Amino acid sequence: MDIDLSAPHSMGTTIIGVTYNGGVVLGADSRTSTGMYVANRASDKITQLTDNVYICRSGSAADSQVISDYVRYFLHQHTIQLGQPATVKVAANLVRLLSYQNKNMLQMGVIVGGWDKYEGGQIYSVPLGGTILKQPFAIGGSGSAYLYGFFDQAWKEGMSKDEAEKLVVKAVSLAIARDGASGGVVRTVTINADGVTKNFYTGDSLPLWHEELEPHNSLLDILLASGSPEPMST
Amino acid sequence: MLVPFNYYTVPPRQRALANPKHRPCSAPLPLERRAIHRANGMEMVAVKDSAISENGTERTLYPYVTGTSVIGMKYKDGVILAADMGGSYGSTLRYKSVERIKHIGKHSLLGASGEISDFQEILRYLDELILYDNMWDDGNSLGPKEVHNYLTRVMYNRRNKFNPLWNSLVLGGVKNGQKYLGMVGMIGTHFEDNHVATGFGNHLARPILRAEWREDLSFEEAVKLLEKCLLVLLYRDRSAINKFQIAKITEEGVTISQPYALKTYWGFSAFQNPSKGVEGSW
Repeated sequence: MDIDLSAPHSMGTTIIGVTYNGGVVLGADSRTSTGMYVANRASDKITQLTDNVYICRSGSAADSQVISDYVRYFLHQHTIQLGQPATVKVAANLVRLLSYQNKNMLQMGVIVGGWDKYEGGQIYSVPLGGTILKQPFAIGGSGSAYLYGFFDQAWKEGMSKDEAEKLVVKAVSLAIARDGASGGVVRTVTINADGVTKNFYTGDSLPLWHEELEPHNSLLDILLASGSPEPMST
Repeated sequence: MLVPFNYYTVPPRQRALANPKHRPCSAPLPLERRAIHRANGMEMVAVKDSAISENGTERTLYPYVTGTSVIGMKYKDGVILAADMGGSYGSTLRYKSVERIKHIGKHSLLGASGEISDFQEILRYLDELILYDNMWDDGNSLGPKEVHNYLTRVMYNRRNKFNPLWNSLVLGGVKNGQKYLGMVGMIGTHFEDNHVATGFGNHLARPILRAEWREDLSFEEAVKLLEKCLLVLLYRDRSAINKFQIAKITEEGVTISQPYALKTYWGFSAFQNPSKGVEGSW
């Protein structure tokens, strides 16, 4: 079975955007796959649109990248003309415009999140088809299928920044555990009045879930540690 | 009155059919295809059709985020509409706070089922329509009949270009004491009636309305009747959720209720232990 290296790059993904008391936390995994092959195991799916607005991308890597580029270009001009930072609403609606008008050709679902001085932290979901929905939190990508129940139970209004970030990291890590198309590291971007903070959580700093084992350098370490003379059974 | 409306199921992916005779319309075979491997490594050609045919035209293929039934009826003081707040993504109940009933100008209410992005686009068109109407500043304003006609033209013209707005719309309103309630479908079918419904509502709600609707229902009676229909839809429509909004429009103006949920009844003795005596059956 040959892997198809000419299959389109798709980001089977987990993306999350969460509002908290004072801003937003965006999170994503880092796996980009070409068919069955992992083309990039450390991609950055949280892309900057302006200083205060970022976008989480899922679906076709090419489609979401080019739409982000167009929106960044339009927002840049808009910011110059407006004389002040663009609002999250404008950014999200530009994404919607391009998604809706090209709905037959595009295959991408995104989450736009940011902070502006008028409305504070906001999250907008723009799924396949170009619908736009403002939400207190949003999940997307193939990994999100495993998180609906989790968020129904774990989400609450008015979290602190740390609680929100912990929730996002836990959620992405749970999705990675079960979704073959999600993997790698968990990247987060926190946006609030003070600015933008980017974080990066590797596998060893994430909790272990069901049937996952503590990683080691080698079996030999385990054998040495246990010290028993007949460690392996026949 | 018979309504030629199909309740469709939304397939996550459509298989392209090579034989042009079997394709949904007679457009030529698309040029682009994308192959996606299945998890077990077997190559399955699950394709997404490009909607760009050889002559470069586009068409909407299928809906993604959809709303389910809307029901509406005339009552003593005006018109009343109800819908749940769900936005389904295939079989997933993905969004649970989607407002599917909006007011249009001073005299109309619009409820929509089907693709939410197309409904949002229709709201933009209507926004522009109402704006231009207000700019005349002549004391006149577009009534429900006019808005319904405008929507009919939009839907029918899109259908003729094989690029429909994938919605079923309910338009209700009151102007100069005249109550109006109409429906437009995605292929341009339109009509007026005393009570209407979209989607599953056609099959489940309309029989109830046919039996129990009267000209002189009070607001309370109308709400109770709508809730009876909403409950049946909640029990029997897979894409319904228990979160509703009821909207009314009278000569005085528009009111859209806050979201609320209904109690469901499960206390039938037949539900208690259906397998008793016939283990293994349902």
